[in-house]
Amino acid sequence: MCVKVQMPSGEMITGFLLTIILMSPVVAQDLCKESKDGFKVRISLKTAFGDDAYEWNESEKFLFRSTLAYAMRKKTGEDTYNIENILVCNDTKRVSFIFVVTLPADPTQLIPKEEVERAVRQSKHRINNAFLLSDMTLEFVGVPPTLAVPIQYNTPPWLIVFGVVIGIVAVGIVALLMSTVSKRRRAKAKDAGFDEDEDDEGIVKENGTALSGLNKKDGVYNPGFSNDERFTKL
Amino acid sequence: MSKDVRPSWDNPMQFVLACVSYAVGLGNVWRFPYLCQMHGGGGFLIPYLLMLLLEGIPLFCMELAIGQKMRLGSIGAWSSISPYLSGLGVASVITSLYLCLYYNVINAWSFWYLFHSFQSVLPWAECPVNSNRTGFVEECAVASPTQFFFYRETLNISSSMEESGGGLHMGQALCLVLAWVIVYLFIVRGVKSTGVVVYFTATFPYVVLFIYLIRGVTLHGAWNGVKYMFTPKLEQLANPQTWINAATQIFFSLGLGFGSLIAFSSYNHHHNDFEKQAIAVSLINSGTSIFASVVTFAIYGFKATFNYESCLERNRLLLLNTFDLSEGTISVENVTAWISQLNSTHPDIFSTITDKIQDCSLEAELDTAVEGTGLAFIVYSEAIKNMPVPQLWSVLYFLMLLLLGMGSMLGNVTAIITPLADIKILSRTLSDETINGLVCLLCLLLGLGFTSPSGNYWFTIFNEYAATLSLLFIVFIEVISVCYVYGLKRFEKDIEDMLGHRPHWYLKLMWALVSPLLLLCLFIFYIINYIQGGAPTYQAWDKHMGKSVVKEYPVYGQVFIALLLASSLSCVPIAALYAFCRRKTRSAVREEHSNTNTAE
Repeated sequence: MCVKVQMPSGEMITGFLLTIILMSPVVAQDLCKESKDGFKVRISLKTAFGDDAYEWNESEKFLFRSTLAYAMRKKTGEDTYNIENILVCNDTKRVSFIFVVTLPADPTQLIPKEEVERAVRQSKHRINNAFLLSDMTLEFVGVPPTLAVPIQYNTPPWLIVFGVVIGIVAVGIVALLMSTVSKRRRAKAKDAGFDEDEDDEGIVKENGTALSGLNKKDGVYNPGFSNDERFTKL
Repeated sequence: MSKDVRPSWDNPMQFVLACVSYAVGLGNVWRFPYLCQMHGGGGFLIPYLLMLLLEGIPLFCMELAIGQKMRLGSIGAWSSISPYLSGLGVASVITSLYLCLYYNVINAWSFWYLFHSFQSVLPWAECPVNSNRTGFVEECAVASPTQFFFYRETLNISSSMEESGGGLHMGQALCLVLAWVIVYLFIVRGVKSTGVVVYFTATFPYVVLFIYLIRGVTLHGAWNGVKYMFTPKLEQLANPQTWINAATQIFFSLGLGFGSLIAFSSYNHHHNDFEKQAIAVSLINSGTSIFASVVTFAIYGFKATFNYESCLERNRLLLLNTFDLSEGTISVENVTAWISQLNSTHPDIFSTITDKIQDCSLEAELDTAVEGTGLAFIVYSEAIKNMPVPQLWSVLYFLMLLLLGMGSMLGNVTAIITPLADIKILSRTLSDETINGLVCLLCLLLGLGFTSPSGNYWFTIFNEYAATLSLLFIVFIEVISVCYVYGLKRFEKDIEDMLGHRPHWYLKLMWALVSPLLLLCLFIFYIINYIQGGAPTYQAWDKHMGKSVVKEYPVYGQVFIALLLASSLSCVPIAALYAFCRRKTRSAVREEHSNTNTAE
């Protein structure tokens, strides 16, 4: 017996397709809301910028979805991720929402949480910079931030300053000690020198006049005998 | 030739600056503000200034008079007063030696912090990152970055005194070497080099304090701290502990009993007017304490306000995140109002975060009183890291700490080298520079022990026991000997000879009656405290909890404390006994001689 199967008409096909197309965001929303593979994202614009904060609108959300797609591309190396693969839901006024990532091949299947986390951690710096935010103001709840490597120095700077200071002090001490030693040597030499001078005077004995004792060979200048005509003009 | 003539200061100003540099030290910055806070703010000034009049100025005057009259270091000066009292000088020198050993370690820490300030990010501003870069090093996360930098990176402290292994901290050892080398540079020529250095070490700290005063009072929240300090809580005056602390603070702050003042004034000219200088230096010292505490409380106020506002900010974020409200709805001012409102409207959601909401209180922040190395290196560096251009403020601050510490070290080391130089045998065989170098070398080698992981606990022993009880005893014996062994009338005549007029009757009253009584009371109080306190304890740093825990000293620690106290206290009776025995044998020998002479 033949059962008559009714072939779907053109309107039915269109209607069916339309339902699917209209349902897909609803399906997508269901995927996003009920998923355990979703991440909550929190953005604090006023904390980051104060009064200069930009508004969080659909365009910003678009940017967010595209950066996440970029992150997935970078992590997996596949160029198939697109903005449709990032689903966002649960928007709040805090500016927080939940997102999930679907497989490019099959939009009903989600990427597991761990893979998304790895992708986010790898590109967190780029994602932050796209929004001019930081790890504190763009939070992926549950994803620990990758902290920047602290600056590594070849020689720690404190050692350099220490070397300079101890060098100066060492030079100061050596200079002081050398000046003390040379002062002592000079004092000793002067003592020895005085002894020699006295011996000389003793050997070269003249008649013992006062002049010889003065040790001045040229004599003493007595102004009374000078011919100083400057003052005697009358 | 020149060795027989005693060197002297180039001018009296150098002497005054040397005394100021010695007396104004770290205690003015980190002990006085704490006492002020604990004992009722502005009200503490009443017992403090009273004690300054009762014991500070008279005892300071007395030590300067002795040094200027005897023109010898502490050992020689007290031996001249009475041969039984040479032990007093030896006790002073031993106490100064202990002080030198541990005090320069603080200077080494100041150097360490100073050198680490020359970085784009101050190392105590942020925690270091752990190995897989997911978070901060655990010890730092539990404590705070400033505490981590002090306990782990500066001290590398062990968790108790018993764990002593681990070698020396090379950075600390290098800084200690530098500190001693600089001290040697300052004292190498004795009073000639010291006299030049004190122009700088006495005056520059005031410049920095003034700069910090301006910076401090312009900080956000500084007035909270200054107001807190100056609101007097006069009920504290009824507490006897307030008066005891005021007396001990004046006493230790002026540096009496170490022999440094005697050493400094021994280089004075005979007719130098020390009375006016003593009053001037004591007043400058107390004035600096008050000035420094205004600055400290401004910084406290800033730090407390910063912490309080951070606490409010954390609560605000918690509320915003839990209730998903837009950022502008809650501001820092109305956080508390919102907490109560949300608690009543959404109690179920609120219950999830009740334990995370913190109690923010400005009063509680201001009440946390810290003193000592904790204040200088942890609290202050925490405040500095939040200031704009923190590197500049950090360099200025640690430079000031260094100068205060170095200035005091000058006095401490002079108290040791002056009596040594007075010993004829030593000064004839070795030159002055060699003696000074050997003293510095010895102190450096012994001080290296403080750079080991448990070194800070030994440091605490020295800090608390080496120079407290023994000083009270020494100065008490000093006052009694001057008034009753040497004779107050004789002392009066000496002063008249030096100054041209007799000392004021007020000073005589203090010397003869009030100061000895006061010192005896303090001494007895300390002993009672030691006995009643049970086994002595210390604060050990627990790296897992990120805070200090109280532990008892091990047996060898307690024995060491007893030895420290005994070594300086026992000098006086032992030397007196020795002098007594020598006199007896000498008089016995003389009697024999005269007997044999008469026999012949």
